[in-house]
Amino acid sequence: MNTESTDVHYEMPPREGFTITLFITVADIDRSADFYEKVFGGRVLSRGDTKGASGHIQIANTWLIVNVGGGPTPDKPTVTLRVPPDPDNISSFMNIRVADIQACYKLWKSRGAEFLTEPISKYGEIRCYIRDPDGYIIEVGQSLP
Amino acid sequence: MNTKVSGSSTDTVEVGPKTYEMPPRVGFTVAHFLTVADIDRSARFYEKVFDGQILSTGDTSGAPAYIQFANTWLLVNVGGGPTPDKPTVTLSVPDPNHINSFMNIRVADIRACYELWKSRGAEFITEPIPKYGEIRCYIRDPDGYIIEVGQSTDLTYG
Repeated sequence: MNTESTDVHYEMPPREGFTITLFITVADIDRSADFYEKVFGGRVLSRGDTKGASGHIQIANTWLIVNVGGGPTPDKPTVTLRVPPDPDNISSFMNIRVADIQACYKLWKSRGAEFLTEPISKYGEIRCYIRDPDGYIIEVGQSLP
Repeated sequence: MNTKVSGSSTDTVEVGPKTYEMPPRVGFTVAHFLTVADIDRSARFYEKVFDGQILSTGDTSGAPAYIQFANTWLLVNVGGGPTPDKPTVTLSVPDPNHINSFMNIRVADIRACYELWKSRGAEFITEPIPKYGEIRCYIRDPDGYIIEVGQSTDLTYG
């Protein structure tokens, strides 16, 4: 696989172009920041504030933005944000691709991550899933050659 | 506006001092999965609007499509019932007005992004609106997911 380096460095906030992050609605900003810091070695950049600012955690190539839910805002007048009301009915999730799934499974489990199952071979990869404190699933997968 | 990784490979991105690959040879790389109704429609949308690079279009045996853009990779696939590794979980497209998580695109110049992405067919819910120390607007993707587009005006996070 071609591993030639790119000429773009992504930063937060970006000074040019754009940087992609993932927002998740959570019940407790501190609890989520602690979880992503402890399990994945995330870097907590901000824990939000009482005026509505979100928590920011950098994890590998991305940033996770966490905040409590709420009703519509002028820029999304029909949308309500809430924690997953049913953790077994999911539309989107963080998908962590790993080089060594057994090592990640053992390390992250030792740090308190709750896995649904052990890593299982399926569809040309080995996969397992973590539940985060709000019930979000996080896929952990290693592609097989 | 530099929105494209031009003239270089699309299986690595640089964030800070580190380079991330897909698939990773060391450590891990974070991607984002969306359940979609039509893999091809979604791949084309993210390619056209955000200059995404379609690395794989999926297949009929269940493989997702991969789209690389900016510092992340998007995996899109159709929904389905439980699998052995998530025996209680069903994946389906979202209720567009009751959202739990979404892609949040932080931009350097929201006016330029708004005009460019709108010209490419992105449907914005509103124009950019100042709120909470930032200027924000939202796109609806083909399945009804919201995508936040925001420019910070008074906050800096490392």
